[in-house]
Amino acid sequence: MAASLIRPEEAQRIWVWLEHDGTSLEGVSLELLAKGRELADRSGEGLVGLLMGHELDSLADEALGYGADEIVVAEDPLLEVYTTDAWCDAAAQVVLEKKPNILLFGATPDGRDLAGRLAVRLRTGLTADCTDLEIKTDEPALMLAAEVTGFGGGVAAIIACKENRPQMATVRPGVFRPALRRSHGEEGVQSRCPVRIDPGRVRTRVLERRIGEAVDITKAEALVVGGRGVKGDFGLLETLAGLLGAELGASRVAVDEGWIEKDRMIGQTGSVTRPKVAIVCGVSGAMQFTVGIMEADTVVAINSDPEAPIFESADYCVVDDLFSILPPLIRELENSR
Amino acid sequence: MSAQYDDGTILLDDATLERFHRATGGEAWPCYQCGTCTATCPWGRVRQEPLLVRTLMRNAQLGIDEDGESLWLCTSCGICEDRCPRGVPIVRILRALRSLAWKDRRIPEGLPSVLWAVHRDGNPYSLPPCERTRWADDLEVKEFEPTDEMLLYLGCTASYDRRIQKVARSVVGGLRAAGVQFGTLGASEPCCGETALAMGQTAFAAEIAEANAKLFAARGVKTVVTISPHCFDMFQNHTPRLDEGFEALHYTQFLARLVSAGRLVCRGSFPRRVAFHDPCYLGRRNGEYDAPRTVLESIPGAEIVELEESRAGALCCGAGGGRMFLETPVGERFSDLRVRQAANAGAEVLATACPFCITCLEESAPQVDQPLKVMDVAEIAARALEPEGADVEATASGR
Ligand SMILES: Cc1cc2nc3c(=O)[nH]c(=O)nc-3n(C[C@H](O)[C@H](O)[C@H](O)COP(=O)(O)OP(=O)(O)OC[C@H]3O[C@@H](n4cnc5c(N)ncnc54)[C@H](O)[C@@H]3O)c2cc1C
Ligand code: SF4
Ligand code: SF4
Repeated sequence: MAASLIRPEEAQRIWVWLEHDGTSLEGVSLELLAKGRELADRSGEGLVGLLMGHELDSLADEALGYGADEIVVAEDPLLEVYTTDAWCDAAAQVVLEKKPNILLFGATPDGRDLAGRLAVRLRTGLTADCTDLEIKTDEPALMLAAEVTGFGGGVAAIIACKENRPQMATVRPGVFRPALRRSHGEEGVQSRCPVRIDPGRVRTRVLERRIGEAVDITKAEALVVGGRGVKGDFGLLETLAGLLGAELGASRVAVDEGWIEKDRMIGQTGSVTRPKVAIVCGVSGAMQFTVGIMEADTVVAINSDPEAPIFESADYCVVDDLFSILPPLIRELENSR
Repeated sequence: MSAQYDDGTILLDDATLERFHRATGGEAWPCYQCGTCTATCPWGRVRQEPLLVRTLMRNAQLGIDEDGESLWLCTSCGICEDRCPRGVPIVRILRALRSLAWKDRRIPEGLPSVLWAVHRDGNPYSLPPCERTRWADDLEVKEFEPTDEMLLYLGCTASYDRRIQKVARSVVGGLRAAGVQFGTLGASEPCCGETALAMGQTAFAAEIAEANAKLFAARGVKTVVTISPHCFDMFQNHTPRLDEGFEALHYTQFLARLVSAGRLVCRGSFPRRVAFHDPCYLGRRNGEYDAPRTVLESIPGAEIVELEESRAGALCCGAGGGRMFLETPVGERFSDLRVRQAANAGAEVLATACPFCITCLEESAPQVDQPLKVMDVAEIAARALEPEGADVEATASGR
């Protein structure tokens, strides 16, 4: 293998490339921050999140809250949407400047694309599509051991990158649990790393970007969810969702009844959601439903049946008719606008 | 890869043929294309286009790749196998084809995360292992010891699903009433691996099975009794026997033995018309039709009626073969047909003995006009244990 551009003894810290859609971080990036934190704590290294893009101020603030010691921001108008050339150029500059020891990517379409190109540029190894990560603290230069197995094919192997730095890996989404938001005061620091991208070297131009209509409730920060108890009327829930900037979600019964579209179904055969808050109205709380809200930070359940199992999965339990609870709540929210 | 052209011509190739042959062990070869399987498969009753089982078998013979969806529809109900004049192990072949689909990454969305959950959390629901014993928080069920009469194996669904926890509690109630000395593996109870097997992850399932065989041997388990027929099938047919081995039983079989031995006597009554839905994994896949009926018949007052299709001809609920984790659209759920059969039989209670069946049938039950309650055999037995029908479940005070 080609000689490393970065020497093992100068390489430092565990880095995670933070993928985002401009407003929020991808789930796999949160998963890597959680795993990265664990590896960092075990090895006494720092954890850094690399955020690339254009006009990232609010996202950078948001990213600080997930356990990284530092968020390094690399901004440029050419990074507004992902292109292999521009992003690889920029990432290579940051890496050569900051010399990470370990650099992790989500094995998403963009993550796979960028990591492969970048590894060649940096003359280092890349372990693709890992399913577990381990750090060998007994090795002088903190070796990363990456496991490659597969629910989707392939043979298990443990791969290490001995001499070249950074030790790079793409990690399959969904393997680790996502990082939880930390409370204020526990956040990391933010820094900027200037990058210069030569527009002449970017061979793709994005002419127009169109995002499909389909809702993706797995990314919603807030959800208002209805079940059989809404009795065919999602009107109140829709008003509430509008006021809270939330998406609508539903149990299977509500979808089966045709009250709401199928892509809003939550649960075992629907979507697993990770909102900060979910207000769940008229849902009994069958396990096939609750597995889809387990990862929510806060669950408020409204159900007229005090015995409803949904209350076991809720942080706030409102035992009452949703039709008498929601109207005053909506009025209150409207008045406070 | 076999190639298909616009004019319908299919180009076969030796490499794919060889690959299919190795995966299926050539077991599709005896098929002589009579089509009985396609005709008996329940998908034909809920869809315009039936599941083309015969075509799947032909494609397995010739090494022709699948389009994707049809391979994952099979609920492994086994009725086609039962009727096949050539004894083709259709479900095993479909599983083998699924295992190839994993290698090619042609897998329905959502299934990898279920398997990751089994790998990481030891259950397919991504729920914390430490919560595995919560169903028994107030029951004081003890850890299994080698001197116990049997190991009660909860399985993932009975451990975590609130609805099925009630079944587990009822089983405990029955065992205690009969004075059975038993224990569980508590929070360290592993997944049986059936989800992985059903989804075609045969190697992963074998790994789990081997670990479980070692665990049972190390803990001195002689008899393991399961709540779910799926776990039972896994232990009975897919888990190796080490040292002296162990006996696997479904709880209805164990309760039936207790009834026959006069140890389990229901002194209360359950004056209802009860129809029994045979779970595929208990009935067709393991030939046990009598045990649940023996238990039901021992319950005073219960009037047992048979469903239109019962025992070896029973209609599947639709949740086997990994379908519990794949969405089935309204109008295509077998359980809808099944609850109608129960209503036609005049049943007030539709009894069954499988967590997946309970979930599906209960969801379909509101579709029939008359009230139809879905209950597990254990729940009915527990309700009839004491006069007055005092308590459905075991409770701390009732111990
Ligand atoms: C294979 C399979 C897969 C499944 N997958 C999923 C899945 O992914 N997601 C899912 O959601 N389900 C799924 N289910 C269905 C699941 O088992 C439950 O049947 C379903 O979640 C119940 O929906 P529900 O809570 O809306 O309805 P119900 O269980 O009928 O509950 C309605 C609730 O509303 C309350 N209520 C009624 N009126 C009011 C009122 N005015 N105010 C307040 N509360 C009121 C009632 O007290 C009750 O608790 C699946 C089932 C199967 C068989
Ligand atoms: S029933 Fe048996 S022999 Fe007939 S087509 Fe199906 S698999 Fe082949
Ligand atoms: S096992 Fe059942 S669902 Fe599967 S192909 Fe045969 S009849 Fe159809």
